[in-house]
Amino acid sequence: MSTAPTIHSTPPAGAEPRPQVIDSGKVGFSDLGASLRELWHSREVVQAFATRAVKVKYKQTAIGLAWVILQPVLAAIVFAIVFGRVAGVSAGGETYLLIALSGTVAWTFFSTAASSSMDSLVDDQHLLRKVYFPREALPLAAVGAALVDLAPGLVVLVVAVLVGGGKVSLSWLTVPVLILLLIAAVTTLGLFFSAVNVFYRDVKHALPFALQLGFFASAVFYPLEILPESWRSIYAVLNPVVAAIDGLRSALLKNALPDVGVTLAAFAWTGILLVLAYFMFKRLERSFTDRV
Amino acid sequence: MSDRAIEFDNVSKSYRGARNYRALRDDVRAVGRRLTRREGANERPAAIHALRDVSFEVERGSATALVGLNGAGKTTALRLMCRIAYPSEGSVRVWGRVGALMEVGTGMHPELTGRENVQLYGRMLGHKSAEIRRRFDAIVDFAGLPAAMDQPVKQYSSGMQLRLGFSIAAHLEPDVLLVDEAIAVGDAGFQYRCVERMSELVRTGVTIVFVSHDMSAVETLCDRVILLDQGQIRADGSARDVVASYLREVHASRLEADPKAGAGGAYGFEILKVSLHDATGAEVASVPTGASVTIRFHYRAANDVVKPIFSVGIGDGRIGVFALASMLFDGEAPELLRGEGQLDCTFESLPLFPRTYEIWASVRGSSGFGDLVDWQRFRMLGVEGEIGGSGIGAAAHSLEDAPVKLPYTWRTGGDGA
Repeated sequence: MSTAPTIHSTPPAGAEPRPQVIDSGKVGFSDLGASLRELWHSREVVQAFATRAVKVKYKQTAIGLAWVILQPVLAAIVFAIVFGRVAGVSAGGETYLLIALSGTVAWTFFSTAASSSMDSLVDDQHLLRKVYFPREALPLAAVGAALVDLAPGLVVLVVAVLVGGGKVSLSWLTVPVLILLLIAAVTTLGLFFSAVNVFYRDVKHALPFALQLGFFASAVFYPLEILPESWRSIYAVLNPVVAAIDGLRSALLKNALPDVGVTLAAFAWTGILLVLAYFMFKRLERSFTDRV
Repeated sequence: MSDRAIEFDNVSKSYRGARNYRALRDDVRAVGRRLTRREGANERPAAIHALRDVSFEVERGSATALVGLNGAGKTTALRLMCRIAYPSEGSVRVWGRVGALMEVGTGMHPELTGRENVQLYGRMLGHKSAEIRRRFDAIVDFAGLPAAMDQPVKQYSSGMQLRLGFSIAAHLEPDVLLVDEAIAVGDAGFQYRCVERMSELVRTGVTIVFVSHDMSAVETLCDRVILLDQGQIRADGSARDVVASYLREVHASRLEADPKAGAGGAYGFEILKVSLHDATGAEVASVPTGASVTIRFHYRAANDVVKPIFSVGIGDGRIGVFALASMLFDGEAPELLRGEGQLDCTFESLPLFPRTYEIWASVRGSSGFGDLVDWQRFRMLGVEGEIGGSGIGAAAHSLEDAPVKLPYTWRTGGDGA
């Protein structure tokens, strides 16, 4: 064994001989802090899974990352023709193509992240059975990988806005905040349904249909203004994707700040759901490997 | 107190039902039944108890093996130690960082290169990327794959995947290393290095828990062996004692399951039964090492059989027999078999290691061709005795390896002598 270097095994830390306890107890709300600390400690795992997803996705594709740009652009063009011309959806003043493009860029991210994170645990069930890591790393990494796809989409959107005669304005600085809202919303769904999917594979079958409905319900190819005024705010809060997409349109197309009240309320609502979803996830997590 | 690495405290683990996933409709139906209080409302699929009320401690820096038949609960115990599953009752405590190798290709993604997989798997095991980079050369070196690191893992053979997986798990400085059966897949040279590496880790204070069916590896690598049987601890002690009692039990269960069947043959000739007798003529199932044994064939011949040729072999479960008594070469043959009777074959001495052997036999016609009774296994023969040697693998070798015990001596020659 001349090749093997000396091992410096981690000293078992006489200062804190605290063992990892693996018992039959249920996860309580008070355990979430410890879970988050562990997740933070394992952030590189999340990153590694996300990197893996991105690499694997575009290996053996001829045009690779170009797909990321093509998907929302082609979709926007189709919508522009179908809804803008044929169905005559009102654009409320802005170029319909930009309305559609801002919607599809955000929606492509949302639906990709939602479906890949919901399937993440089941897809990697062999890992769950063989290696320990904080289980939420898988759905979170799926969202992270979809974010990588979002970036070029946003660049295309910005270029299209500028080409269409838009001006750079301070309101653009709110874009990251709106993306954060999208991330929070999709993470909530991903955590909750990836866990449920382990127990009920029905999720897998319901998902495409649910996303289809979500697409129609999320102001992707129509401006929020086609709804009655009194409904808009409550609708945007309850469906934070609407708040994010409408906010994006305000910021990029109208050079106006997104509605602050709606945005904050959407954040609060999504935040509550996110905490509940994480709690559910951690509670179900312990029986994942009994079921996958 | 902190010299423990692992502690199981009254741990039970059960799995609900045989199916491993449910569809929503099953649960909806169950709720419906409960609401309407119909029959079968409390009917639950039978639970599988993988572990029942198991308690033990593993000392830090020791090498412990879990052995037992398939389904004894070994792998379940390992899974609890590395938090892959949680107990149904009781608690498991583990001090320090756990590295685990549960199966070939664990954590490897086929589309990623070896290099990328080292990073991925290392991080899954809870290491920082800087740390993994620091150990990268040692990992690649041990796995012996420097040329393949930039190839996708899907192009690796299973042996290569195993080497890489073990190398990652064993080089990233775990406090507790769990190894499940995996190294059995590697080639002999790699297995040797694995065992060497594990011994080296133990010397530096790493705790190893090893699950294997390879008793020889268990006995040579581990100080302590825990025998699990249907989810409970059956024996716990020094490797030699537990390996010996486990193998004896395996042999005993084989003896017990022995159907001791007779066999019909051609031409109205049949072997009704085969019995074993010791030197005093008493019927036995086992004889001591070195003693004589008589194998008695109880036959029935409906038609006269002239000069049939009997062959009797002793085997140990591997292909072929290692000892043979045959009228084909000694030239003997009974003149005439008619009606019911017995025919004895006596081995004067059985210089065999203590374990369970198989008795095979056939009966041919006088010309040597044409089977009256096909060559087949008739029954088991137990050989009993102590494990004489004091070597590190004495128990596994006496009870598992080559069956015949011949006297021998060693002498070292050459310059040193």
